[in-house]
Amino acid sequence: MKMIRNRFGSLSRVSAQLQRHVQQMSTNAAASPAEGATISEFRTAVSNPGEHSAMQVAKFYTIPAEQKKQIFTGGGLPKQYEQQIKTFTEACLMVRNPALELLQYIKDGDLTKPVVRYVLYGENGTGKTLTMAHVLHYGALNDFLLVHVPWAPNWMKRPKEASNAAGQEGMIDLPFDAAAWLVHFKTQNGPLLQRLQLKTSKEYVWSKRESTPAGSSLIELVEHGIARIKYASETTAALIAELKQLSTAGQCKVMVAIDGFNAFFHPVTRIFSDNKQLVTPDRVTLTQPFLDITNYDWTNGVCILSVDKIAMTEGHMDSYMPRYLLGKEGFEHLDPFVPIHVENYTDKEFHSYISYYLDRHWINKTPQGFEEQLKFMSNKNPYSLMQLVKAL
Amino acid sequence: MALRVFGLNIVKNNRNLLQNACKSRAPMPCYMAAAPFATDVTVQAAPAAVQKQRVSKAMRAYLKRATEHDEFMKTQHLEFQIGKRHLANMMGADAETFTQEDIDEAISYLFPSGLYDQKARPAMKSPEVVFPARKAAEFDETGRPFHSMFYTGKPNFFQLLHDIVEETNKLADLEERMLRRGNKPDENQKLEIAGFQLLPKDQLELLLVESIADIEYSNFTNSMDRLIASPYAYKSKAFIERYMKPLMDQSKQLEVPKPRIDEEGRQYITTYECLRKTARADVTVRLPGTGKISINGKDISYFEDENCREQLLFPLQFSELLGKVDVEANVEGGGPSGQAGAIRWGIAMSLRSFVDQEMIESMRLAGLLTRDYRRRERKKFGQEGARRKYTWKKR
Repeated sequence: MKMIRNRFGSLSRVSAQLQRHVQQMSTNAAASPAEGATISEFRTAVSNPGEHSAMQVAKFYTIPAEQKKQIFTGGGLPKQYEQQIKTFTEACLMVRNPALELLQYIKDGDLTKPVVRYVLYGENGTGKTLTMAHVLHYGALNDFLLVHVPWAPNWMKRPKEASNAAGQEGMIDLPFDAAAWLVHFKTQNGPLLQRLQLKTSKEYVWSKRESTPAGSSLIELVEHGIARIKYASETTAALIAELKQLSTAGQCKVMVAIDGFNAFFHPVTRIFSDNKQLVTPDRVTLTQPFLDITNYDWTNGVCILSVDKIAMTEGHMDSYMPRYLLGKEGFEHLDPFVPIHVENYTDKEFHSYISYYLDRHWINKTPQGFEEQLKFMSNKNPYSLMQLVKAL
Repeated sequence: MALRVFGLNIVKNNRNLLQNACKSRAPMPCYMAAAPFATDVTVQAAPAAVQKQRVSKAMRAYLKRATEHDEFMKTQHLEFQIGKRHLANMMGADAETFTQEDIDEAISYLFPSGLYDQKARPAMKSPEVVFPARKAAEFDETGRPFHSMFYTGKPNFFQLLHDIVEETNKLADLEERMLRRGNKPDENQKLEIAGFQLLPKDQLELLLVESIADIEYSNFTNSMDRLIASPYAYKSKAFIERYMKPLMDQSKQLEVPKPRIDEEGRQYITTYECLRKTARADVTVRLPGTGKISINGKDISYFEDENCREQLLFPLQFSELLGKVDVEANVEGGGPSGQAGAIRWGIAMSLRSFVDQEMIESMRLAGLLTRDYRRRERKKFGQEGARRKYTWKKR
């Protein structure tokens, strides 16, 4: 009897070793050859979004700190996710199917053709913004100039300041927001702009004394806008027009990413005009350039837009479908576009997220069946899950 | 019974009276049963024969009161009969066969009332019900009490204790005799008291027409328990049953519906009329399933609140069937928490068919199978809400 037990013991030990060996081999195969060290099964060492494939689905990759600082300083990650990143002291993103799908389209797309518009849509809190962040990371690493609006409804719902536009009658300027966006553009694209040495095609006259001559660099244009906040809106329009020209000429690639794009087609904003009436989005000077760049009359770029229920206001939040959120006008503006549905977690993604939280010691209480409970409570919705585990 | 209380002499002296008593008692046997200790003397008082003899002061006072009460009850009864006939006429029914149930129905039809308290709503009941039974004279015309335990103050109660002990002793004697003969109690005739309980204190008080203290009630229950515990308790079945009350609703809850089979070959149970606050739902639970939940065609995101989702999932989690059954619910009316509560009850009731008896019992103890009858409390005038008062301002 004892002998038998001994034999079984040794057998099990052998099998365990075998298993470990197999696991090591598989992780080696999955991970990039550069970093074959021990890595948890819910993480991947591939930190370049361009190399992500179906192998990395439901795994976490880390955005290096300096890249994160460059891309997401001016926004782009949800505030709560930003807090979580700060708590966990690492910027981890999960590789998910919508992002992979989108990346595949971008990689396979022909840049000489007119720009393709991709529209991310889905329920609240499913990860549209983070999908966009994933793609932005790809764009930043692949020499795309990023034209990124972190959350367009901010301009329509809570602008810093609104004033009448100098040049155009009846239009509203948002000077501070425009300047803030220019700063965001500069931080995202500073190094690339230095490298590419892009020049303006014509002279921009701001006032009697101020002008930006033709042939000055884009950085000068942007810096002028930041320094002279009064002209920030016009500068934004000029910059975007220049970018369109330059990319069509083949001097640069442009990635347009606008979160909450449907805010541009909302029936009304919260900005008051002089006669105390709420203005419509098309009377805000910032709207025009961004609608312009989402047209398909230029090449060498991609447009990634997201439509979101919470970009709308009460009474306009019945459905998350693009046709509903964009309205007739917006839908016709974007048509034809490639819709990409962002859904709740799959089982695999869910379990991966739970193990990530456990790894970060974010979930401390683990009674029996807590995972199942969380799954049903959150309905596998990423945002609800994040809210729920806060208290655990 | 009249004999015992009145004393033989009265019966001898006044036979007519006795006959009258029998006549008048005939049409209302139901009230007799309700308070057998009380009815003896209440109605028939002041026989002429009694007044001739020497009467004690107490007896005279009592007789006066009894006559008044007698008169009063007689008029009340008459009025009731007339009212009943009127009502029957109004409703186009036959006055002779008009029962109390018909009266209640007619009243609620003719005087619809939205008053919250049932007791505050209009009613028409027989005077015997409306005016509680009173104790009869406990002493004869010379002031000598009838009952040997009159001076205990609660003769009926102590008589009852006495009777219980007598029965117990009888059974003990019987047991000993049987033991000596080598006989054993008959297993087939064993007294079944599951689903019954002893009369609660307030009902016992009604029966005895005496108010009893808590400790006295516990004396009663103890002696009854001792009697019931006897192996030959079935011999005194009639006596015991007089002080037992059936537990109706519990036995009704015990029946668990059998699951039916749908076209996919899965078992399912549908519970209709799941109510909570003003929400009503019907819930279908299917086994086996994958944990799919659909509420009015949406998934669990129908409820945005965390606590509503928790409410919904609790019975599933409690019975460890989370992820093993599918739930479909249609719910309308009320707010989120009411709807969640209604569905929770529906799920719990349906799950009874898929779990064992032990789990049903623990579900019952967890309060999952109990219907929550609480409703919104009305706003009171002079107050800001149901309970909150207006802010107090000095002036």
